[in-house]
Amino acid sequence: MSENTVQYSKRSRERAIKDFLRQFLGHGGAQLGIVCLIFFFVLAAVPNILVGPLQTAINATGDFLAPPSSQHLLGTDEVGRDVLNLVVHGARISLTIALLATVISLIVGTTVGMTSGYFGGWVDVWLMRITDFFFVMPSFVLALVITPVVLEVMGRGGDILGFRPSLFVIIVVIGMTSWAFVARIVRSQTLSLKERTFVDRARVVGSSDFSIMVQHILPNLVPQIAANGALVVSGAIYIETSLSFLGLGDPLQPSWGTLLSLAQRAGAASAGAWWYLGAPGLCALTVALSFVLIGNALDDTFNPRRRVIP
Amino acid sequence: MPDTADILRLESLQVHFPIRGGFFDRVLGRPAGAVRAVDGIDLNVGQGEIVALVGESGSGKTTVGRVITKLAQPTGGRLLFEGRDMTSERGSSTLRPYRRRVQMIFQDAYQALNPRHTVFDIVAEPLRSLRLVENHSQLTERVSEALAAAGLNPSGDFFPRFPHELSGGQRQRVVIAGALAVKPELIVADEPVSMLDVSIRAQILQVLVDLRDKHHMALLFITHDLPLAWLIADRIAVLYLGRLVEIGTADQITFNPRHPYTVALRNATPQIRGDADRSKLPALQGEVPSAARVPKGCRFHPRCPLAFDRCKEEEPPALEVGPQHMSACWLTK
Repeated sequence: MSENTVQYSKRSRERAIKDFLRQFLGHGGAQLGIVCLIFFFVLAAVPNILVGPLQTAINATGDFLAPPSSQHLLGTDEVGRDVLNLVVHGARISLTIALLATVISLIVGTTVGMTSGYFGGWVDVWLMRITDFFFVMPSFVLALVITPVVLEVMGRGGDILGFRPSLFVIIVVIGMTSWAFVARIVRSQTLSLKERTFVDRARVVGSSDFSIMVQHILPNLVPQIAANGALVVSGAIYIETSLSFLGLGDPLQPSWGTLLSLAQRAGAASAGAWWYLGAPGLCALTVALSFVLIGNALDDTFNPRRRVIP
Repeated sequence: MPDTADILRLESLQVHFPIRGGFFDRVLGRPAGAVRAVDGIDLNVGQGEIVALVGESGSGKTTVGRVITKLAQPTGGRLLFEGRDMTSERGSSTLRPYRRRVQMIFQDAYQALNPRHTVFDIVAEPLRSLRLVENHSQLTERVSEALAAAGLNPSGDFFPRFPHELSGGQRQRVVIAGALAVKPELIVADEPVSMLDVSIRAQILQVLVDLRDKHHMALLFITHDLPLAWLIADRIAVLYLGRLVEIGTADQITFNPRHPYTVALRNATPQIRGDADRSKLPALQGEVPSAARVPKGCRFHPRCPLAFDRCKEEEPPALEVGPQHMSACWLTK
């Protein structure tokens, strides 16, 4: 007897998802962003198939700082490594760092923001002061302080959860310095959601604070978290690039920022080796821009004025 | 009909919301004051009794409902449930036994249902969080029973639906089913039909009356509509600016109102047939004063057509008119 309605409901949910996708994909910026990202994700997924294993000073094949040629499409660096090879391998490191840092940032930011907004009072005051502290904390300084300590404790060769210590530090530092912005946004949305009647109802039917937060508030926060998450990723890519550029990266697992740093130290700019600086720089810029475009498109699509669900 | 034993008792219940003064007020030591939303209410609801709480917007009737359902904390007075003082009980686990017995029906069914939950989850939520079922088949059974009791048949059809797929009347039935699923002994219904089409109101009211008749459930019916209150309630309490001005049986309040405010409310009711015994009092003038600045003396005196000097100075207590009938007016005797 209930077959009909089950079908009907599934269809209506599908329709809602389709509507959302049509609106989202109709956005020019989103299309561009998605195409770019797919390209870079493919690079990051199978670098060995595309350009062979990561080249080092030992197995480098080219001349020093040779300009782009048919053999080395993006030229070579100061020890004769193929820049295309380095950039493709760098995609994996850069994207991994950015995405993991974003996961940390979203988890911490959502937890702090939701707790703060939901409970209010002194919990709110204290959590928001802590948030302010992380808001103003410069990621460079934090990374500069933490990295040597971790390296001292772990040793350069060790690894933490499968990452070399300096990469792990970068992930944690970016995560720690970018959650404050997420927390602020989640808090403000929680403040408005907790006044909704369905939260009152949940309280009257005996739901605990935890289940109200998880079942009633969190699902309604998803649009904000998704849209801002994309912006956090692009911020993370910038911070990662800057930190690595300052020399905090790991030369054995070079990200785009590390490549930029190496290029700068090799004097690529004054030697006219534009390919060495340009390739990783452009990649970082494109990926960051793609995430911003997707974030903005998500934001537009989830805009309360156009949202189907009240 | 009403039993002698009271299930719920409010004793001089008071809810004041403090007003935070501005910076200069605080520096100059001016008193901050408070919004006196509920200002000393005595009310009792018997087992299986339907009591209507009638008042204009701003009279504090919704706040009374929120106090009873523990959504708002009273600043004074006591809330007794079956003689047990519930005034200061807090926390979802402490209140669990209380919530199993007292439920609420919300006015705005559009807002009261989480748009991302299905009907099944909405009705199952109280059963799960109040630990009323042991397994999934029991849960399904209770949910479908509650939906059927609220008039949603066949109940299985509604399980997977989302609130935005339902009509206004159906949503209100889902809200009612959610309250019923618990099998409470008291339901606070805050304007349960005010958002609905007139044609659907009667059906929803019938569901509520059936509950009382079948399950001996007590009902506190909060409304601004005096005729509706008369239709459904055993007793009616009239609230004005945070105080009860008159309380009595539905017939006493409707056909023999003693307080000028109740008379005015009754006269304000549009009627299709001309009513011969319509009192000659003029219609009410002006607005309800702000609960932050309650008038001195009888709080109704600025709008009362019968007010005299004593009303401006002294606040009248509840004076007995007849059996079960009280009116807070100096002219009562």
